[in-house]
Amino acid sequence: MLSHLFKLIWNKKKQNFLLLMEMFVSFLVMFAVFTLLVYYYKNFKVPHGFQYENVWAVNYNDAVKPDRLDSVALYMQTVRQTLLGVDGVQDITFTSANIPFSFTQNNNFVSYNKNKVLANVYEAEDNYASLFNLSVISGRWFDKTDIAGQTNTIVINNRLKESLFGNDEAIGKTILAGDEKLRVIGVSNDMKIDGDYQPTENGFFRKLDTAGLKYNSTILVKIRPGIDASFEPKLFKVLNNVIRNANIEIEHFTKKRERKNTLSLVPMILLSVVGGFLIINVALGLFGVLWYNINKRRCEIGLRRAVGASGSAISWQLIGEALVLSTLAIILGSFFAVQFPLLNVFDLPAGVYLTAIALAIAFIYGLVMICALYPGKQAAAIYPAVALHEE
Amino acid sequence: MLRNYFKIAIAVLKRRKFFTFISLFGISFTLTIMMVVTAFIDDVFSSGYPDYNRDRTLYVNSIKQVNTKKGHSQMGPASYHFFDYYVGQLKTPAMVAVSTNFSPSNTYVNNKKLVINLKYTNADYWNVLQYRFVEGKPYQKEQVDRGEKVAVISTETKDSYFGSNAPAVGKYIETDNVCYRVIGVVDNVPVTRFMVYGDMYLPYTVSKADYRAKTLMGSYTGILMAKSAGDVEKMQEEFSAMARRLPTDRKELDKVIVNADHYLASFTRQVFGNAGSTGLAMFFTAVGLFTLLFMLLPTLNLVNINISRIMERSSEIGVRKAFGASSSTLVYQFIIENIILTILGGILGVIFSYIVLQIFNSSNLLANVHLSINLQVLLYSLIACIVFGLLSGVYPAWRMSRLHVVTALKA
Repeated sequence: MLSHLFKLIWNKKKQNFLLLMEMFVSFLVMFAVFTLLVYYYKNFKVPHGFQYENVWAVNYNDAVKPDRLDSVALYMQTVRQTLLGVDGVQDITFTSANIPFSFTQNNNFVSYNKNKVLANVYEAEDNYASLFNLSVISGRWFDKTDIAGQTNTIVINNRLKESLFGNDEAIGKTILAGDEKLRVIGVSNDMKIDGDYQPTENGFFRKLDTAGLKYNSTILVKIRPGIDASFEPKLFKVLNNVIRNANIEIEHFTKKRERKNTLSLVPMILLSVVGGFLIINVALGLFGVLWYNINKRRCEIGLRRAVGASGSAISWQLIGEALVLSTLAIILGSFFAVQFPLLNVFDLPAGVYLTAIALAIAFIYGLVMICALYPGKQAAAIYPAVALHEE
Repeated sequence: MLRNYFKIAIAVLKRRKFFTFISLFGISFTLTIMMVVTAFIDDVFSSGYPDYNRDRTLYVNSIKQVNTKKGHSQMGPASYHFFDYYVGQLKTPAMVAVSTNFSPSNTYVNNKKLVINLKYTNADYWNVLQYRFVEGKPYQKEQVDRGEKVAVISTETKDSYFGSNAPAVGKYIETDNVCYRVIGVVDNVPVTRFMVYGDMYLPYTVSKADYRAKTLMGSYTGILMAKSAGDVEKMQEEFSAMARRLPTDRKELDKVIVNADHYLASFTRQVFGNAGSTGLAMFFTAVGLFTLLFMLLPTLNLVNINISRIMERSSEIGVRKAFGASSSTLVYQFIIENIILTILGGILGVIFSYIVLQIFNSSNLLANVHLSINLQVLLYSLIACIVFGLLSGVYPAWRMSRLHVVTALKA
């Protein structure tokens, strides 16, 4: 049966070639669309790993700070105490500018034995983890015994732990960042810092030192739930008075997250719209061509009916032909699609590509089935007498 | 002859309405997407409010200092000192607009937060760029030199801070705890023109950053305007000559790279280019490749449909051939027919894109961006139509012309 269908297709190879090309390109388009969708969905399922709802970020630029480092520490202490004194402020912490949902990045290569990976570097203080409700899986977070510049202790996130140490213990080990030796004292949960649809990244936390304070431009403020709208201008006034001469901006993490998500969603929506339009186009085209082909083969079909083929056998033959053709296209397309996980293009996990290939195959089969169904049914309704009479 | 083809084409289109619908759907939607994309690219890259003089301006977006031996580098906007001292020595620029990139700051009106994007500029900024003043006027050089706390604000800011009916000039606006006297209100600038976008424009002398620092790196970008469009090349040469002699401001870095480019090139250089090339060629190749790939599927589809259509008319072709029509005449006729079809689809496409752009504009997805179909976009679409028609018409027509008279007549 199958070989017979192949023969039918081969006899009309010229005509079928273009149809095959069309299905092949559609397969590739759907592969691209599904890859992105599967990737986003996979990332979406991962929890955020931290609580940002009541946290605001304060960015201040061009602040005039004292030249000497010990006076900087004193100055920043005043800022901290003043802010903690504001009614409604639960906690504050100074940190580097690469906060969650921001567009700033700061990364460095770190290595352990032969493993070398790129990791985000975050500067954090003792209360950073408690402010974000970031849980420490093993070991501990920073405390007073950690002195930046002397103890060189770091907390790494789970993902970095896995890429450097695999299943081995990480606590107490020393890793290299450039020439610097850093000792791991804790492993924290992963933070999904680039929004809902982006993956977690390798990262580690260093303790913020006085030099870091001098160039610091970001404050995280955790506020008590249930404050009213007049609180933000009040906080802004306080900030303006305590940090002299600076441009200050207050951002809410909930808003920052929305903005980051929009940036991820826009390419996805655009690709889906364009992909959807292309597929409607192809579906209509396939439908038209199949319909036309069947009309042209009326006498052949009439003859088959006359020698005893049932209506459903006829329509299954036509659908079968279309499916064999799409199988050829899918084999060709899968050959190209499989290269993506094999050559590790774009650095996505292989599972994403394989799921996308499976979805694209199912989609193309479904599409071809739907397009062939109606023409097949029409062919089944041909009366042998009428068809043969025309001839 | 053409009129005859036209008549035949219309008759054929009417006969098989379903096929006509499929073809028109494919063509019009492909062109709609192309036109919306073109309209967007056109809006970003063509000159328009308030940046009208792009034929005689060059843009300096960033400056880079490299250590050529170890490879590390430092890159960012330039300092005011760089524009004031080094660019100021150049003879060919008639005027230089210097400004910071917009940066957000907060102010509160009745406990409601207002994000104001600040932009610090020099006085010539207002001469190089033609902002439309709804009220008042820009600040002058003397006011900048004196460090007067004056501001030009956008209509949007005025509406949300002072209310839409009251005039704003002479009133005070407060941001970052400093009061500025409003001396002008300008029409809103779309955010896609981010070189000139801002909600509040202030003299650079009131900026909190130190503009006197004698370094190269800072927070300023510049627009150099030549006396005439013919002088631009000379200006570019003079700028590069100056840039080659520029000393670095830090010992461990030994080379300065800074370019004055045309608008489009100043962005393509950052993405595709390097010190030696502007990356324009790469940019156009990428855009061209993408367009081709995008059009591949609709074209294949149309080719398939066209073949079915033509084969259906094989008896007509057989008769014409039997009466002595040459293959080239037939090919010519079918291509013309197909182009008529694509142009019909193109007209539908224009109507659809008009609707899509109206929806986009009224949705306010991007603040103050008003996309429109202008002559240039229409021209591009027409070219796209014809290319599309040729691409999808040639192969079926060639297949048809090789049909044998006997087989054609028999079918």
